[in-house]
Amino acid sequence: MQIKEDKQGDTTIVTVTEHLDSATSSVFESRLLGLVDRGERQIVVDCGALDYVNSAGLKVFLLAAKRLEPLGGKLVLCALAPSVLMIFEMIGFTRIMKIVASREDAMRVLRGDGAAA
Amino acid sequence: MHEGSITIRLPANLCEIEELNRLVRQFGELHGIPSRTLYAMNLALDEIFTNVVLHGFADATGQEIVVRLETLAQELQSEVVDGGREFDPRSAPLPELTAALGERTLGGLGIHLVRSLMDGVDYRREKAKNVLTMRKRIR
Repeated sequence: MQIKEDKQGDTTIVTVTEHLDSATSSVFESRLLGLVDRGERQIVVDCGALDYVNSAGLKVFLLAAKRLEPLGGKLVLCALAPSVLMIFEMIGFTRIMKIVASREDAMRVLRGDGAAA
Repeated sequence: MHEGSITIRLPANLCEIEELNRLVRQFGELHGIPSRTLYAMNLALDEIFTNVVLHGFADATGQEIVVRLETLAQELQSEVVDGGREFDPRSAPLPELTAALGERTLGGLGIHLVRSLMDGVDYRREKAKNVLTMRKRIR
């Protein structure tokens, strides 16, 4: 797993790659929740190069979304591979998280442009 | 697909999951298992292995988990054996999949994935060991 951060205006784009599993999720958790704790309120996670996620990884997304919600923040996930998206659907996360096709769509959602929703 | 089996014995440690995943993928490639079937079994085994390591023992040091994979006519089957505390994944409560974000809790996600991904999950307690069998049809 590799994690990259990129700031665009008020939005932080986090790219997570390869395997997000029991061995790597704690690192991802501290990075993602660390962003929330230091005041970031608009976070995009680009999953375009993420090819595997297990429940330990899923928990990190849930934790981050739950922490951001009462703060008025937004978490948007984008570019999930079909096999990863299937897991998000199976666990019911597509109901409670904003998941879009591309990074551009994610930025549009955060700008409040309804066309992307 | 070719018939065959493999038995993998690993220390009960989270850092062994990478090795488990590698061996499962290698077995799948050698036996011509379709990638979707293999992906589902790989993830299910990952979840079970993780669960046993995290919750099966007061101290997992020196403990071992045995994973057996077998291809049958139109099915990929696995068996996970551990000497940890008794746990039947079929009895685990379902996560509240329709709850609002604020009400969603973190528990039970892995076991729910296992039950959703597999076509069959069986469990028995045998000689003070958990014996979990999972089946995935090949199509």
